[in-house]
Amino acid sequence: MSEFYASAPIEIGEDLAAAHARAWDRIGRAGSWWDGGQRVAIAAETRHALSCALCRRRKEALSPGPIEGKHDSLGALPDTVVEVIHRVRTDPARLSKRWFRGVIVAGFSEEQYVETVSIVAHVVAIDTMARGLGLDLLPLPLPERGKPSQYRPRGAKPGVAWVRWLEPVDLTEQEAGIYPAGRPTANIMKAMSLVPDEVKSFFDIVSHQYQGPLEMRDFSREYRAISHAQIELLAARVSVLNQCLY
Amino acid sequence: MLLRASGLTQNRAYDLNSVTGAVQDDGGVAHGRRLVEFAEAVLGEDEKTLTRARAALRAGIGPAGLADAAGVVGLFNAIDRVADATGIPLEAEKAEASADFRAALDFDRFGVAARR
Repeated sequence: MSEFYASAPIEIGEDLAAAHARAWDRIGRAGSWWDGGQRVAIAAETRHALSCALCRRRKEALSPGPIEGKHDSLGALPDTVVEVIHRVRTDPARLSKRWFRGVIVAGFSEEQYVETVSIVAHVVAIDTMARGLGLDLLPLPLPERGKPSQYRPRGAKPGVAWVRWLEPVDLTEQEAGIYPAGRPTANIMKAMSLVPDEVKSFFDIVSHQYQGPLEMRDFSREYRAISHAQIELLAARVSVLNQCLY
Repeated sequence: MLLRASGLTQNRAYDLNSVTGAVQDDGGVAHGRRLVEFAEAVLGEDEKTLTRARAALRAGIGPAGLADAAGVVGLFNAIDRVADATGIPLEAEKAEASADFRAALDFDRFGVAARR
């Protein structure tokens, strides 16, 4: 049994607690393009972004571009990495392809970018749930030693996203199982497939914190304490508040 | 889109304007108003509003429902960031199926096409 949330004042399902424990463990270990220390630093910077004065000024501005300055950062990561973390955390709806290209030109590889976005997303999913329930934020994991695998999927190609991705027909044995079988693969699943381990990790959380790909479309029964309609109302309201069409 | 699909399957008519926050009642979804207010409070910055919204939702749907609701809010707060940061568009079949209410609710202004 997972010890995560064992002392929480509200009961968190054992499957979800275990999924969060797995996610936290993975954040502390070397990934594909960042080592454990860098990954934990990205997670810490994700939290720190909420108190950044530059991000707040940009968020309040009609357009974020003209607002210059330096991010309030923890100082453990290069400026370009901090820019990505802070923008994705605090103002994602106004990210643009031009901004993305600028980040890549500044020295970020697409693979590092995808892994960074994934870590931010893991932390946001878990921390936002904690805020909703009035729980203290989980202490970040301790980084483990190890080198990034630098695994680059051979079949990744440019598609309709800003980053290259893997179509289901291009999966090799090493990426097998990252997409659900028997139904079209949604763009949100392909979005991070340039780093396949991040797809596995993030969608492990999705399956337990939301619903799995089959459950979400099976309206013949309910799988959670709230109904499909209640779940989708929440999901849609959050996406509208975030100004996210997807 | 899944909200509408759920309604069609259950033979229920949900008021899709609920997702804009413009509807003051439940919009056909059980405890819909409390759910919307909870989502808004979690993404907002006012702690007192969040405390009130959390208590109201818990009173309506119980602690297990509240835990699930918080999980969904957290998850979509993350998914939206993945979608925005990677520039993915809506799939063609989903775009076609949702064209009417996207237009009615003016959601296309959020799309990736607007963020070149």
